[in-house]
Amino acid sequence: MKNWIKMGLGALGASLLTSSAYAADYTIGVSNTVQGNGWREEMICAIKAQALASGKVAKLNIAHRNTDAAGQSEDIRNLISAKVNAIVVNPADPAGIQAALAEATKAGIVVVAVDQMVTEPSAYIISNNQEQYAYLGAKWLFEQMGGKGNVVYMRGAAGASADSDRDKGFKRALAEFPDVKVAQETFTGWQQDQGKQQILDYIATGVPFDGIWTSGIDNVIVDALVESQAPLVPVVGADNAGFVGQLNSVEGLKGAAVTNPGSIGGAGVTLALQILDGNKPAQQVVLVEPSLWENVTDAGKAQLKAAADPSLSPEWPVSISIPEWTTYTKDQIVACKGPGE
Amino acid sequence: MSRFLRRHGWVVGLSALFVVLFVATRIIQPGYGAGDFGSLVRAVLPYAFAVAAQTVVVIAGGIDLSVAAMMAFTSVTAASMMAGASEEYAIFVVPLVLALGFVLGAVNGILIVVTRVPDIVVTLATLFILQGAALLVLDAPGGGVAEWLKGLIIGTVPIPGLPDAVTAWFPKALLLLVVLLCAVWIPLKRSRLGLSIYAIGSSELAAFRSGVPVARTKILAYAIAGLFAAMGGLSLTMSTGIGAPIPGPYLLASVAAVVLGGVALGGGRGGLLGPIIAVFVLRLVRTDLTLLAIDPNVTAIVEGSIMVAVVMFGAYVTIRSRAS
Repeated sequence: MKNWIKMGLGALGASLLTSSAYAADYTIGVSNTVQGNGWREEMICAIKAQALASGKVAKLNIAHRNTDAAGQSEDIRNLISAKVNAIVVNPADPAGIQAALAEATKAGIVVVAVDQMVTEPSAYIISNNQEQYAYLGAKWLFEQMGGKGNVVYMRGAAGASADSDRDKGFKRALAEFPDVKVAQETFTGWQQDQGKQQILDYIATGVPFDGIWTSGIDNVIVDALVESQAPLVPVVGADNAGFVGQLNSVEGLKGAAVTNPGSIGGAGVTLALQILDGNKPAQQVVLVEPSLWENVTDAGKAQLKAAADPSLSPEWPVSISIPEWTTYTKDQIVACKGPGE
Repeated sequence: MSRFLRRHGWVVGLSALFVVLFVATRIIQPGYGAGDFGSLVRAVLPYAFAVAAQTVVVIAGGIDLSVAAMMAFTSVTAASMMAGASEEYAIFVVPLVLALGFVLGAVNGILIVVTRVPDIVVTLATLFILQGAALLVLDAPGGGVAEWLKGLIIGTVPIPGLPDAVTAWFPKALLLLVVLLCAVWIPLKRSRLGLSIYAIGSSELAAFRSGVPVARTKILAYAIAGLFAAMGGLSLTMSTGIGAPIPGPYLLASVAAVVLGGVALGGGRGGLLGPIIAVFVLRLVRTDLTLLAIDPNVTAIVEGSIMVAVVMFGAYVTIRSRAS
């Protein structure tokens, strides 16, 4: 008799499992507030590709425009009205959208923040470890500079939490090298044109510098150095396709690319689907660790050669997938098509 | 009745458009209800104050490009003053920030009147100045806000004697918006100053020859715009809990809503109700585009096309009715 009950329960459990595993009917909402930036576009494409590859998403609902925290709150509330099952959000501000995220959780929606932190405690966060990103690159740069000299510190967008986390890592490395001085600190706003203008302005002052740390606006900085025939000082950037190509090809350029995959958006979709299927992660915050590829040692050169991908847009990070978190193919992310497109 | 329609045709048409859009929203998303309407009103708040500021200036024959920057500046000022301060301290902060907006607006007006540099140039300059000043106050989004201020726009207004199903449609944010706009606009419209604002917008020379103090009127029009912009800045801080030094997308949105609201860009004609309903229409269009999951790169094109289509249709109807 007992065995019968056990078997019955087992069968019931199995049928429940299979029904949830094959439910291809989730709707996932996406909210992003920077449009026209290569990294963010790759993030959106990774979200689409992962939603398609997972087979569990019926529809994506993407709110993607240039706006502020108030505008993002509006988008999140619209996604609540659209009755999505989960929201993947790249926050405009960690605190500014807290009320809207809390409303989403209250409405039974799974909230996953990607790329940057949020203050809302009910939200799950999957992010690149931004502090470590800056620390790795800055430490390598200061070593290349011989532990002394002037560094140009080209940050991201003022007030973005990714930027303030990176600032912590940069300052941590700076503290280890007391003879390195910050000659100039600028905010590129993660805009190519702005970053290039700033470095050209700085070169024009004639003040010497010994290294440049960038927050991912990198290939235009190398372009500016080459065009203005300024000394090719070591440059640290992200793993953007254009910059990785330059590290392989520009004569005399010493530099390092620190990985910061935009495919974190796809990882956000995977995390959201896991939570929807009842597998909550042990912690609210999941961090993806960066690695550094430099062109000074042979081992580093080999890594860079392997990573280079001229078929990608120069502003796209070459790390288009994250092991264990994304399952799409390169063709799928480049095609940038979501379910039903 | 026909006289009413002729005088308020534009507002009636816009309201009808809003109702049609609302019904369409209910069809797209059958569950769209009172709570979602509350979200819409909260999204409308900063835009509504920005457009109110722009409306006053445009009716006076000018244009204020510094609206969004002034909102950012007043927002960070309020947020940085309230950070870590007591709840009571905010009672002192709010009037101070409103006064700050009024004074900054007046400075805009004084510069225009005294230097005789065109409005568009002066307010473009103050846009940059205020943007920089906002970054001096807070170099990154931050600060705080008193809980009671946040509470002013969350939830619904309990009206005694009405069932919850009805009061659910009266969000506090709507009450705040209506009260603040009416408190400034109705006395203004009925005063000599209000009449003078319309007069200088219609024809500065004619107004001057009829004895309207043109300079003073213009300065006050900009000052009132500054007051509305400060309300917009406060509403931003109230809805996000922080102050952000980089201006949001409120400048172009304010001009768009002014045009859609039936205010002549040349000045002298129009009211406040039209632009405010226009803001509701534009935000609801955004909601519908999100609900329909339209390709995000297309949404801005759709929004722009709808706007130009409505304005052209309105102009066509106006010309036709004049001809007949």
